[in-house]
Amino acid sequence: MKKILLSFLLLFVTASLAFSQNSVITGKVTDQKDGSALPGVTVTVKGTPGIGTQTDVNGKYSLSVPAGKVLVFKFIGYKAVELAANSSVVDATLETDSKQLTEVVVVGYGTQKRQNITGSVASIAAKEIENTPVTTLEQAIQGKAAGVVIQSNNGKLGQGIKISVRGTSSISAGTQPLIVLDGIILNQGDISSTNAATNPLADINFNDFESVEILKDASASAIYGARASNGVILLTSKKGKAGKAKLNFSSQFGSSKPSRHRQFLNSEQYLQIERRAGVGASLQDFNNGFYDTYQDALDDNAAFVESRLLRYSAGVADVGAANVDWEKQAFQDAPQAIYDLNLSGGNDKTTYLISGQYSDQKGILVGNRFKKYSGRVNLSTKPFSRVEVGMNLNFTNTVNNRISDDNQFSTPMQIVALSPITPIIDPRTGLLSGSLPGSASNYPVYYNPLLSVANSYYNTTVFRTIGNVYGSWEIVKHLTLRSEFGLDQTNQNEDSYYGRLTFRNTGTPNGAGQNTNNGIIHYTVNNYINYKNVFNTDHSLDVTAGTSYEYNHFVGNDIQGQQFPSDAYKQIASAAVKSGGSSSQSEYAFVSYFSRANYAYKGKYLLSASARTDASSRFGKNSRYGFFPAASVGWILSEESFLKNSTFISNLKLKAGYGLTGNAEVGNYPALGLFSGDAGYNGSAGQRFIQIANPNLKWETTGQFDVGVNFGFFNNRISGGFEYYRKNTRDLLLDVNIPGTLGLSIQTQNLGKLYNQGYELELSGDIFVGKFKWTSSFNGAFNKNVVTDIKKQVLGSNDLNRVIEGQPIGVFYGKEYAGVDPANGDAIYYLNTKDANGNFIRTTTNDYNAAQNVILGNPTPKYTAGWTNTFAYAGFDLSVTMQGSWGNKIYNGGGQYMSASASNGFDNQTVDQMAYWDKPGDITDVPEPRLFYGNGVNASSRYLSSGSYIRMKTVGLGYSIPKSLLAKIKLANARVFMNAYNLFLITKYKGWDPEVNADYQASNINLGVDFYSAPQPRTITFGVNIGL
Amino acid sequence: MKKFKSIYLTAFGTALLLTACNKQLDLKPFQSVGQDVAILTSTDVQITLVGAYNRLALSGTYGGGNFLQPDLMATQTIIDWQGTFQDLSQMVAQTITNDNGFVEGMWLSSYQAINQANNVIANLDKVDAASKASYEGQAKFIRGILYFNLAEMYGKSYNDGSPATNLAVPIVLTPTTVVDESSKVPRATVEAVYQQAITDLTDAQNLLPAGNTFYATKNAATAMLARIYLQKGDYANARDAANTVIASNRYSLVTPYTAEFPYPAQIHVDNTTEDIFAVQVTAQQGTNGLNTYYASPDDSGRGDIIVRDNFLAEFEPDDQRAAIYTEDSDGILRVGKFSNVYGNVRVVRLAEMYLIRAEANQRLGTAIGATPAADITTIRNRAGLGNVAAVTLADILKERRLELAFEGGFFLHDAKRLQQSVGALPYNSPKLVFPVPLREINANSALVQNEGY
Repeated sequence: MKKILLSFLLLFVTASLAFSQNSVITGKVTDQKDGSALPGVTVTVKGTPGIGTQTDVNGKYSLSVPAGKVLVFKFIGYKAVELAANSSVVDATLETDSKQLTEVVVVGYGTQKRQNITGSVASIAAKEIENTPVTTLEQAIQGKAAGVVIQSNNGKLGQGIKISVRGTSSISAGTQPLIVLDGIILNQGDISSTNAATNPLADINFNDFESVEILKDASASAIYGARASNGVILLTSKKGKAGKAKLNFSSQFGSSKPSRHRQFLNSEQYLQIERRAGVGASLQDFNNGFYDTYQDALDDNAAFVESRLLRYSAGVADVGAANVDWEKQAFQDAPQAIYDLNLSGGNDKTTYLISGQYSDQKGILVGNRFKKYSGRVNLSTKPFSRVEVGMNLNFTNTVNNRISDDNQFSTPMQIVALSPITPIIDPRTGLLSGSLPGSASNYPVYYNPLLSVANSYYNTTVFRTIGNVYGSWEIVKHLTLRSEFGLDQTNQNEDSYYGRLTFRNTGTPNGAGQNTNNGIIHYTVNNYINYKNVFNTDHSLDVTAGTSYEYNHFVGNDIQGQQFPSDAYKQIASAAVKSGGSSSQSEYAFVSYFSRANYAYKGKYLLSASARTDASSRFGKNSRYGFFPAASVGWILSEESFLKNSTFISNLKLKAGYGLTGNAEVGNYPALGLFSGDAGYNGSAGQRFIQIANPNLKWETTGQFDVGVNFGFFNNRISGGFEYYRKNTRDLLLDVNIPGTLGLSIQTQNLGKLYNQGYELELSGDIFVGKFKWTSSFNGAFNKNVVTDIKKQVLGSNDLNRVIEGQPIGVFYGKEYAGVDPANGDAIYYLNTKDANGNFIRTTTNDYNAAQNVILGNPTPKYTAGWTNTFAYAGFDLSVTMQGSWGNKIYNGGGQYMSASASNGFDNQTVDQMAYWDKPGDITDVPEPRLFYGNGVNASSRYLSSGSYIRMKTVGLGYSIPKSLLAKIKLANARVFMNAYNLFLITKYKGWDPEVNADYQASNINLGVDFYSAPQPRTITFGVNIGL
Repeated sequence: MKKFKSIYLTAFGTALLLTACNKQLDLKPFQSVGQDVAILTSTDVQITLVGAYNRLALSGTYGGGNFLQPDLMATQTIIDWQGTFQDLSQMVAQTITNDNGFVEGMWLSSYQAINQANNVIANLDKVDAASKASYEGQAKFIRGILYFNLAEMYGKSYNDGSPATNLAVPIVLTPTTVVDESSKVPRATVEAVYQQAITDLTDAQNLLPAGNTFYATKNAATAMLARIYLQKGDYANARDAANTVIASNRYSLVTPYTAEFPYPAQIHVDNTTEDIFAVQVTAQQGTNGLNTYYASPDDSGRGDIIVRDNFLAEFEPDDQRAAIYTEDSDGILRVGKFSNVYGNVRVVRLAEMYLIRAEANQRLGTAIGATPAADITTIRNRAGLGNVAAVTLADILKERRLELAFEGGFFLHDAKRLQQSVGALPYNSPKLVFPVPLREINANSALVQNEGY
């Protein structure tokens, strides 16, 4: 009893003591941006640990605070605010902080505080990509992360895009980073049935993303083991937040134009050069003994040229009467409209986000259009205090009106080959030139791509569902189990019909149709546990371990038909001849075990280690399993006593890591010896040998070393980082050329080594703070790629791209053009044989075969950079991103036709060809025109030019209408904006656009080739964003 | 505490491990069959043989490329080349580069077909007794004609210097099972490759049945032997082989001449009565590689080749063979022999046998089977021309040129065996021999490049 009494007394005393010193303070915390309540804000008392609370759903809090203290309001993504607790009501307004926003970073199978990360992770926040007027995520993040190089093949919509994270690590296997959305590996396989790839990421609405994280080094990515050699891109979708429901609507409208045009010959120039080419050919014909006299040759060739000119002028005797700039005909007005609507909210147990997007973009090329309908539901709830379950579901329908690949006569850009003397409308028929009836088989000089616009279509319709359901259970304090099941399902239909007027292109007189269905089911099951705890205040530990199973199944079928009753019938059902059909399937699976431990001592000594074991169906039983460990260390110097109080240095962290990652992105059955049953003959079925077995085939392995420093000065007003890395890739999964006498030309082997080495610099600063705000952030990267060992082979099959030891992948290798022999107009080449001392002999030769192949340039930029400046003043905001790359060359694969000094047929020529050699003594680098003699048109450095460029990638200008005005019409926020994409381009490149790689042949090796490839679009849109 | 946790983790991890099953990793392809189980039965050998025909029919080789490409190198005075394929333009210009894609294509396609044939020959022990001789004969026929073509294209002419030392192509007679140093086979001599072709075709001649639908027959092998012996200058064997084919009476000349090239309606015809062997092209299988370049766009071709009027002037006024050269809808003179996109690529037909027998008899002063004049009369009569009482060698060669123009690559091959110049080049110019493809030189260190490349 005494005891009880004593306790009671004690309690009373304590309480009265508290009473005498504390007062209860209440208040509401709101968002400075729109005045909305902020739930979940941590409210603490400065200098008094142990007292604190969080705001409720309505942003309200109540806290008993000792008198005279200061309240601290903290919330992730917002700048902390300190307010004196000097009245009973203290309201706070928090302002978003772009730097704080990324404080917690998504990493593989978990999250981590940015300060504790010892690997290399680039983060891009939603704000930086939202509402960019482009089709796909990659275009929106171009230039925004150091060492992440993004390059479109051309300006067609929804087409293949190459992403390189710290260079290219493979010659024959995949080079694209792994893409993971909300923990689920996305299917990235291209299932386009043409040679030109489409981009599976175009199916996803990037306005749904909260953040994009790019894991660049082994320490960060090795948790993805055999999938991580090319880096990992982690996408995190937006989630609802507890609080009042928010509705947000935005829409924008605009249009695109080609970034640049290219000049071709007008009629007068064309007639001049073609006639001159006839003369040039005559001398060759005569010298070759094809005619008895030179005059015979001249007469015959002149007659031939004139007959052709008459033909191409639609039979108009005044052959130069028409003067058409066909290049302009390749393009169309390209309007676009994008609408986004999303609703989010929730309470302390359940949150939701529902979003939808409709976009309709026309491409700059005639006939190109991309429509997208996208919806998302993200739902999360806590049915029990220790359990959270939820789902993220995204469904999309895209419709891409595609155009032919760059190597087809029907692709709009090949229209430039048509003669300027050819009228658009044939005066003989009143129809588009090349239309039937009439002389359609050889007029104009090639098939007129405009015929395809009205008489054919090729529509790719994709239905894609990406979803996951997950549950997480806090088994005991600090220990959480998470299970995820994710599905990525793609159903793609490609429907095409080529009408009668496209006969010259298809070769089928009464219509041709094709219908292809391809589907992929891809699912992932992840189970992992996480243990997170702090021991004795100084030791913090975060351990994750689990398993993953991934399965992918492709099913495709295709049917083709010919002989349609009329062009009104476009489905194969109407085809009298079913000319082709096929079906196929393919699958792969991965089974993986992974673990990671992060340890920090006193918040300044950091250690991280991870390991993953992967097994894949793709490899032989002898070598199915791969083990991928990584470790890294970090030291936060700014937490040390000697720097802690520095007013100059606010953050300084050193870090280093090493690890192994793998690459398994090869075909699904490369290890097997195979026969294929596709070898019939006149109706009898047959089989043929297609692949030789390699039972020891295994992973390609990359060992990556990374060292870096992160720094911040003046309370992080200036911050940045610098990193050096070296990636050594060995056991390359290489398609090795084997002697053709084997009946095969390649075998996939683990052969060869290469490395990538480089530096990355990131700098950002708040240059002006206050009413006028200016922040600037720069990123730059240098990468050197060298193939060190492929057993002296020379790989590559296109004009100039090769893989050669000691050189970067795809290096341009061939004959060095030396211009024109002033004496006779022959194209000449440097001999480049070597003398006794190993020096190149620089004499020239007109014998293309005699000239030796030499290194001519690198197709991959050495330096890449991005620079973003944002300004804000009185409701106006402006964001400008410049992006550039340097040190690469581009090969114009179409040069042999379009810049051939009329030596290769009747293709129209680029204007520079008018500088052709005409008479002995002329000094020029354009050879004498010699019709069909191909004077100087063989692949050589003649068609290489610099690919360096700087472009104004994005500009966003907005005005937010003041809240005081909005309150009257009950809007939370409203912003009007203008977006510009590719506003201008600075380059010496001679072609259309230096961001190019001919789509029909683009590969790891075939790089930097322009082949009638469409330029990038220049887009300007205007829009509005409204929230309530 | 920590220890407990790690035990917990380990136990949990192990539990998860057990759920993963290795079975899920044993995934087999759907559209293809393992090399180890592809050829187990007689039927498997038969479908592999069909696969050999399929490869033989590739447009890079007997699907047309092997007849088109030599002719492009030797017809500059009678055609205008309008094509934009640089690699073919190089052939017309007689400046072929060692990385020429068509030169590489012919090499790769030929050896694909040879490997198929080798797969058949190596598995004959699995074949039913009734089919064994035929399968072996067909495989050897395919292999033999491929080696002959390779020797003609990649080696010096048989009559140029010493065929016993001049290099042609590697000889591979076993199917591919591994890739190792033994895969690097050096080039055999022209003599050895000719001999391989003759051996294969002689075996085929002995093994094959007389009739075998559109597949290779005894006469097909004999006819190809006649051609090879003629190319070698072995006139007696050439004459006897040609005579054997004619005397078999299984074939007859199609009248009129143009009907030998069935064309309208683009309907596939297996073989005419004159065809001894033809590579079958249908809508489903194969591409007529001659149609692609010779035929006008009216007939699904690229229309890259225009016949010059001076070639037509070589025909006598009443020669019905000139009628196969017709103007297309644009008034351009085309070779009309390949206007059917689903027409076969004729490899050898009866008329050639008459011409070989006539030439060989003429050279040897014999009259085995018939006199040269009688054979030439046979050829002329079918063309709507009158009899000849006597002929000279030049008459026979002229008849051959007009009869077989643009078939068989004879413009080049005949120029070589007859030691006639080709444009400004002598018959034995290195420029008239294909280079060994650069990719082969790079992949196989045992190979030596041809002169001039």
